[in-house]
Amino acid sequence: MSTMLRTIGVLAALILAVVACTGPGATTAPTGTAAPTASPTMAPTASPTSAASPTTAPSPTDGASPSPTGAATPSPSPSPTPPPGAEEGTLTIWADNVRAPVFTAVAEAFTTEYGVPVQVYQIGFGDIRDQLILRGPAGEGPDLIVGAHDWLGQLVDAGVVEPLEIPADKAANFQEVGLRAMSYDGTLYGMPTGSEAIALYYNKDLMPDGNPPETWDELKQIAAELQEAGTVEQGYCLMRADPYHSYPILTGFGGYIFGENADGSYNPEDVGLDSEGGLAYANELDSMVKEGLLRDNVDYGACVAMMTGDAGANAPRAAFFITGPWELPNFRDSGINFGVAPIPTMEDTAAPFVGVQGMFVSAFAPNKLLAQTFLTEFMATDEAMGDLYEADPRLPVWIPLAETITDADTLAFTESAAAGNPMPAIPQMSSVWTAWTDAINLIFAQTEDPETAVENAAEQIRTLIGE
Amino acid sequence: MSGPTAPAEVKPAAAARQGRTLGVRSRRRISLSFKVLIAVLTAVYALIPVFFVITASLNPLQTISGASLIPTRVTFDHYARLFNSPFHPWPQWILNSVIVSSLTAIIVVALCALAAYSFSRFRFRGRRLGLMALVLVQLFPNMLAFVALFLLLQAIGNALPSFSVAIPGVGTFEPARLGLNSLGGLILIYAGGALGFNTWLMKAYFDTVPYDLDESALVDGASHTQAFRYVVLPLVRPVLAVIAILSFISTYSDFILARVMLSSTENFTLAVGMTLFIRGQFTQQWGTFAAAAVIGALPIVITFLLLQRQLIGGLARGGVKG
Amino acid sequence: MTGQQEAPRQRGASSPILSLIWRLIALAFIDAVALLLAYAFFGGGLGLAAIILLAITAAINVIFLVDRLYPLRWISPGLLLLVLMVVYPFVYTVYVATTNFSSTNVLAKEQVVERLEQQFYTPEGSESLSWRAYRSPDGDFLILLADPSGRQLVGDPAQGVIPLDEYQATFGPIDPADNLPTSIDDHVKLSRGESVRYLTALSQLVITDAEAQLRIVSLDRAELGRQRFVYDPATDSMTDQQTGTVYRAEGGFFVAADGTRAPAPGFVQVIGLDNFFRVVTDRRISGAFFGVFTWTFTFALLSVLTTFALGLALALVFNDQRLPLKGLFRTLAIIPYTVPGFISALVWVGLLNPNFGPINGFLRDFVGVNPQWFSDGTLAKIAILLVNTWLGYPYMLIVALGALQSIPGDLYEAAEIDGASPWQRFSTITLPLLLVALAPLLIGSFAFNFNNFTLIDLVTEGGPPTPGAVTPAGQTDILISYSFRLAFSGGRGQDYAFAAAISIFIFAIVAAITIFNFRLSRRLENLTG
Repeated sequence: MSTMLRTIGVLAALILAVVACTGPGATTAPTGTAAPTASPTMAPTASPTSAASPTTAPSPTDGASPSPTGAATPSPSPSPTPPPGAEEGTLTIWADNVRAPVFTAVAEAFTTEYGVPVQVYQIGFGDIRDQLILRGPAGEGPDLIVGAHDWLGQLVDAGVVEPLEIPADKAANFQEVGLRAMSYDGTLYGMPTGSEAIALYYNKDLMPDGNPPETWDELKQIAAELQEAGTVEQGYCLMRADPYHSYPILTGFGGYIFGENADGSYNPEDVGLDSEGGLAYANELDSMVKEGLLRDNVDYGACVAMMTGDAGANAPRAAFFITGPWELPNFRDSGINFGVAPIPTMEDTAAPFVGVQGMFVSAFAPNKLLAQTFLTEFMATDEAMGDLYEADPRLPVWIPLAETITDADTLAFTESAAAGNPMPAIPQMSSVWTAWTDAINLIFAQTEDPETAVENAAEQIRTLIGE
Repeated sequence: MSGPTAPAEVKPAAAARQGRTLGVRSRRRISLSFKVLIAVLTAVYALIPVFFVITASLNPLQTISGASLIPTRVTFDHYARLFNSPFHPWPQWILNSVIVSSLTAIIVVALCALAAYSFSRFRFRGRRLGLMALVLVQLFPNMLAFVALFLLLQAIGNALPSFSVAIPGVGTFEPARLGLNSLGGLILIYAGGALGFNTWLMKAYFDTVPYDLDESALVDGASHTQAFRYVVLPLVRPVLAVIAILSFISTYSDFILARVMLSSTENFTLAVGMTLFIRGQFTQQWGTFAAAAVIGALPIVITFLLLQRQLIGGLARGGVKG
Repeated sequence: MTGQQEAPRQRGASSPILSLIWRLIALAFIDAVALLLAYAFFGGGLGLAAIILLAITAAINVIFLVDRLYPLRWISPGLLLLVLMVVYPFVYTVYVATTNFSSTNVLAKEQVVERLEQQFYTPEGSESLSWRAYRSPDGDFLILLADPSGRQLVGDPAQGVIPLDEYQATFGPIDPADNLPTSIDDHVKLSRGESVRYLTALSQLVITDAEAQLRIVSLDRAELGRQRFVYDPATDSMTDQQTGTVYRAEGGFFVAADGTRAPAPGFVQVIGLDNFFRVVTDRRISGAFFGVFTWTFTFALLSVLTTFALGLALALVFNDQRLPLKGLFRTLAIIPYTVPGFISALVWVGLLNPNFGPINGFLRDFVGVNPQWFSDGTLAKIAILLVNTWLGYPYMLIVALGALQSIPGDLYEAAEIDGASPWQRFSTITLPLLLVALAPLLIGSFAFNFNNFTLIDLVTEGGPPTPGAVTPAGQTDILISYSFRLAFSGGRGQDYAFAAAISIFIFAIVAAITIFNFRLSRRLENLTG
């Protein structure tokens, strides 16, 4: 026992000695930015599955991949770079791989003019929303993010984005639809930078008269003839597991996803997948598969390859493909004689989904005012919007820019978008994609009666939303 | 068909069956050709995806619809494009992966060996329970663990004093960086997660080293530490190598945890960098993806192939028979 | 064979005193670091972490000073790391399962309170002000304000908002461009562009007059606003100063008496065992449970069987000395193991593409079939097994090779003398001994594949949808992939608490199976002696 006491005594003395030597001066107290979040915030996570949100499908536009224009590397600093949480005085932006280089270049001008350093970080587009929800509250988030308007539901619910105020004179330069898409529950949260909607890419050489079909039946007929003649492998290309691209067919036959309220917002209680129009849509898909116009297991990359003839290396193997403006660079590079037209009418006008992309201010941004100013002073200008458009040719929502567009393709997309419906931003949308995808897959695989498939899907959606 | 094959000479007892010697030999030849067939088929099975990916990375066509097993045209464009991507510093990523995986392997082997020695040599209360717990602890589907770990690393990072060490000519670095967005923190997480089952395995292997060896050393006046270091450790080297390599490989491929803990591009490991890259580019840019896949797999393939001799040879040579 | 020690005594060439001294020094160092860390944790508000840290440190001290706990000294470093990195997340997950943590309830309550308290409203009749900042060399600011009627005010952090005429200071000459003084005392006027750099600092100034606070809203606008919400800790409610509505904290939200929510996000709150009940009662889970569980079990079992069979077969093949090019074959056979798993999975998806993949191309041309790997349920299951076997057999090969070497050769010689056929030698000597040696690995592989989320997600994403099902369970969904999809893509976004509860159930299932398997293998061990 006495050995024990002796031991303890010696130990205590040693400890005191060591502590005295090092002393509190050795510790740098936790920095101020950590303080508010020191009460362990429960920060959620990037979901392990990439949720089937279609914004990940169309946007991987690597159109810009043949060298991002004059990309400036985030300057390699000799000391360890701070994590992409923002620090005082530096504006931090999270962007995807397409826009990151553009913002880096564009931000240089901002730094030159105002003396504020800007740090752009690249994050996979599909991860940005989840990462913001994870890191924002924990104090590790950015000031600004690039995002899609249909994220707003989740972002606002989680409380990670800040309302934005755009001065009236600047706001007047934005298209109404863009501002509306960036709003949720009547409050504006982001600044739109571009919109997108899908339209019909068609191969002019393969058209009987060089003109695009005006009606859906016409399209199917041409496609069938081309397939029969062996000129193409697939007349009209539609992917499995992609509700986003099949939506025009749904609306074209009178169906809908969510009914609209009087004020134009979506009513999640009214699911339209198994409405009359929805059933007609299912039957249409089914008959197209049966007729051989649609094949299972064709994915997005394959469609692009077939349309462009493997980027111009071979003869094209498809004549029609409905997709968005992000593919324009690929099509142009391929040398195919293609055109863009609005989606042919079916029983109704075929309305595509309209997606608006823009920038949001994080609710946990250390430089909130600065971020907002960056948007309203700097991004909302002809130069910045023009640069963005050049790198990523989505439909401009900046009116002065939109007015200068003479490119026939972009105009066709604009026309298509004008007839479109904004993608619902309500959080319930995520439940929709999975069930809808399953229904489409069942029809493609011909393992289920089409009407039953969409009826089941609608039921699932109602159950999920009902919780 | 099993174990070291008996020498081909006719054994005394088998001489009685000499009448069937011819049958035995031709049976042996058939069984050999059968084995060669199996070996070849397996090689094909193993290599088809590898071949496919290499071909795809050299194929100028970017999409899977153009992919074929036999290359018709060869181009290095995809690789060039990868290395020209300023947001994808592949060499840095490879280095990070190697650092993280190596240090994890070392820490895991060290800690597991210590613990395994204790479980194997000593009898103490809670030993059996502890062993079972080691296994059970690995069973938890830790998909949500990274929320907890994220907060933990954040707390550690905030509490640890950050000081830098300047080495003239090399640069400054911060050894105490164990928080978020640091390789050190990631290493700690990986090491911790690998301890359970590996300790269990090591203990089983330690058990095959007879205690008499320890005893004789202890009787001669050695301490347990010395017995561990000089008697047991050399004999269990194979399992140390195995565990090291297995840890290395599994941490090399992890991207779920790394993706959450690391946030700045230059700290990414290769796996994270690849997912950054793969997201959405998988089928759209099959060629580039394939090139990235080759780059991603190459370091570990090479390392492993160089070390496989130690790995397998060690397992055979080491241990104590009987 | 294994160690037998009751009370380990410290024997050593070095004297016990020296060892004690070393230990004391090391412990002193560790204790000092721990104390400093704990101090820092306390300072940062992480009281719980500090207490845990101190407890751990105390335990370490005890372990290293009390002789009876000698075995634990070897275990303690590993144990510490294990507790931190594995046990703590598990405990945390259990905690999360008892809360309402989801993408609508992400923030801590303090954060929501703070958010609400940062909201301002402008009382009737107050107007927007334009502003200019003045900065002193020390970094202090003054704000010059003007309301639409032209009245000018000065905002001074020390004095509040004071009309310009009443403000005591030396004003510099008036700049004709904007009619504002170029300086106030030693504060120099910042132009509009120059202010941008200081916006963050400016937004953090607290300048109040009697009732309102000056808020800079944009580069051109400021306003005098009042705090809209005030928090009352006693009643745990927020009161809207503008309308008088009281919002109480309830179920993760601030809710008014009439059910409307305050304009703020939800917060995390413990809600008890609701999530666990949900797992059991949710129709989507219970409806699909047996089907999904059966496939999960089958899949894990088959994976182990196929990888083990192939690995073992190859080990036997490679063990044959007569095999030519053994080294080469062995090297080639191991390659799949070295490629990171997720890369392999994606490559296989490409390989198996029914329209464009080379495998189907080959099958079409030479066999005349075109299997729809991802549309047909059975084929999808086969595809999964095919990929998993490819991924897993090298590991089995390696361990089987090692285990084979450790079977003593005399056993075979004796058997051959006794006239045993090769098959008999295999089934009575090789296989039983191997199984005994490798049983834990096989069980471990089973447990791993039971929860092999990555594979299923990457290759089939749960597989072709089940026709006619009301539950979104795919045909290759395993428990973990299905339930996580429910948690993360159902309803209003991501429900982490629900996923946590599911994890715990899955853990219970796997643990039960594993324990059962171990008992079984122990009995086998006893049988084969």
